[in-house]
Amino acid sequence: MFETRPSSVQHPTEHRFNPYEMNGGTIVGVAGEDFAVVASDTRLSEGYSILSRDNPHLYQVLPKTVMGSVGFHGDCITFNKTLQIRLRMYEYENNKKASTPAVAQLVSTMLYSRRFFPYYVNTIIAGLTNDGQGCVYSYDPVGSYEREVYRAGGSSAALIQPLLDSQLGQKNQGSFELNRSYTVKMSKEEVVALVKDIYTSATERDIYTGDAVFINVITKDGVVTEHFKLRRD
Amino acid sequence: MLSLVQRNEDEVLKETRSIIERSCIPPGISSIEMPPFRDPKTFLAQYTKPDSAVKIKFNRGTTTLAFKYGGGVIVAVDSRATGGSYIASQTVKKVIEINPYLLGTMAGGAADCQFWERVLSKHCRIYELRNKERISVAGASKILANMVYSYKDMGLSMGTMIAGWDKRGPGLYYVGDDGTRVTNNIFSVGSGSTYAYGILDSEYKWELSDTEAYELGRRAIYHATHRDAMSGGMVRIYHMKSTGWVKISEEDVTDLHYKYKEAEARQ
Amino acid sequence: MECVIGIVGKDFVLVASDTNQAHSIVIMKQDDDKLFRINDRGAMLVTGEPGDKVNFAEFIQRNLQLYKMINGYDLSIHAAANYTRRELATSLRSRGPYNVNMLIAGHDEHDGASLYFMDYLASLVKLPFAIHGYGSFFGLSICDKYYKPEMSEAEALNLLNKIVAEIQKRLLVQLPSFHVRVISKEGIKDLPSIYAKYQGDQAVRHESMEI
Repeated sequence: MFETRPSSVQHPTEHRFNPYEMNGGTIVGVAGEDFAVVASDTRLSEGYSILSRDNPHLYQVLPKTVMGSVGFHGDCITFNKTLQIRLRMYEYENNKKASTPAVAQLVSTMLYSRRFFPYYVNTIIAGLTNDGQGCVYSYDPVGSYEREVYRAGGSSAALIQPLLDSQLGQKNQGSFELNRSYTVKMSKEEVVALVKDIYTSATERDIYTGDAVFINVITKDGVVTEHFKLRRD
Repeated sequence: MLSLVQRNEDEVLKETRSIIERSCIPPGISSIEMPPFRDPKTFLAQYTKPDSAVKIKFNRGTTTLAFKYGGGVIVAVDSRATGGSYIASQTVKKVIEINPYLLGTMAGGAADCQFWERVLSKHCRIYELRNKERISVAGASKILANMVYSYKDMGLSMGTMIAGWDKRGPGLYYVGDDGTRVTNNIFSVGSGSTYAYGILDSEYKWELSDTEAYELGRRAIYHATHRDAMSGGMVRIYHMKSTGWVKISEEDVTDLHYKYKEAEARQ
Repeated sequence: MECVIGIVGKDFVLVASDTNQAHSIVIMKQDDDKLFRINDRGAMLVTGEPGDKVNFAEFIQRNLQLYKMINGYDLSIHAAANYTRRELATSLRSRGPYNVNMLIAGHDEHDGASLYFMDYLASLVKLPFAIHGYGSFFGLSICDKYYKPEMSEAEALNLLNKIVAEIQKRLLVQLPSFHVRVISKEGIKDLPSIYAKYQGDQAVRHESMEI
């Protein structure tokens, strides 16, 4: 009369390997009146190892649209490739290149198409609107998105975003006026200088950020890339 | 775009087809890839836990409310998005403008609400083109509820209110991620909803004037942002009238706080 | 599930406590009193684990009585609150901590009317108004909006009625009645209890649900 089976029903455990990894990296996007700046560091890590010191997380998807993408590097690459294909299809079907706002919507639906097995990526899209204004869009991993004036993403986001709020957004500094503008009032040069300072600071306190920073300045004439060295330890 | 009467059949048919066949939304539901495992809800839960090394943060946390009264429907929302304790954004648009006669609100997963209400707006447009009249609020909310219901237990997270105006007058429905769909005069959804209900219930009546109604909605959201740390940013007010929705205001809660304190002091 | 409310007025504290005593899914008692007198002008309103509640409250109560016998005068409300906090904090680090939440309310010569809020982790804070339990989610925003310092008894009672009405309207767990007391220089005075009124749905104007 002994119970031969364990009293609690045993469920088979599914042993799956972990399909995700956090590879670090930090991206920043800023929208100016007639330009957009998007920057990224060049470090790629896995755990406490540095895999590469020369791997910017920026992907130029169209002549005047750049995507910053960090998180799981494998997903970043896959997502970039898929996006490029979808944009080529768009070009053939419509006989024109997609505008940045169109790319922005496409990225959202593409991210959502993997709602139940998400791309582990934080994304920023930077470019120009149809009337030449700088624009920056930011995403969560499953594609909720918003047009913003500035945005930091990736491992140092929580370090950098408050600094941007203070220096670009003038948040909580006396005037509570709502800023209804979609762009900063600064010049390209001022924004680039600020971005360099910001990365220097983030590198000081975040192990997943460092080595160098790539800064892409997007104007009506195309993309200009600038390189700036950071701590390499 | 919505003047349907003047357009000839051909044109309308062409737009219907083009939306369905070549829309910028990949043809809705069928385009969402099914994952290569059984239970996406538990799979994802592994990576949304705060102690997981790989963290997929979804934007969450909200106070939204809507109520019907003599002058239509008021929709009021905050604008904060949080991923854990990090404030991901203070400027989120939680009122989704589906079309000039329909508004949706956003609580729960930001992407879920944004995506499905965009798909809903497509369906509503197709309905208009096919039937030469606007879809009812009941109908629109039913479409959303049916879409969401087909994904039940897959881990969608959304609590949305659909507000609109149709032949029957003002309409207000709540559609939940479990497939619930209910109508009522007052709804509030999100982590701050209980606080908002507190204010709303104490002063609500059908005979509210427009300005009183705006102020009630604004007050309720303000008090919710004051008590609920996951709500904040701005208070946005929309008014649904017989002529469609109008955006009434957009104010920083910090401004409101000092405004209310000053008004209190003057009394 | 339980709910206790405290509101500080001009020279009094208005306190209310629900009257349910529940165990599992059963209501064991419908006229429970969650108020424990700590002296002539002070009281604790206690919620939490059934056994702990009475045991801890009476332990504090007796020790405060003993203090008065020894010294000939009462502990101030501030002192009593801090004494209670320390006892709870000590218990928290023991093998069987008390699981109790409470409001400590009273009136004394030092501070006039005062109200202290303390949870089972022994976090103590002095507040102008306080609610324990799920009722706080509904009541606190109402307090934020309508509370004014130096309220009269009638005004405070009005605010309390608003809070209780909202809890009885929106909280899933029904709390049909509340004991109400006012604690002032004159002592602890019972006021008429609040009973739930049937609140008809605001003249249902929406159509039936169909498409």
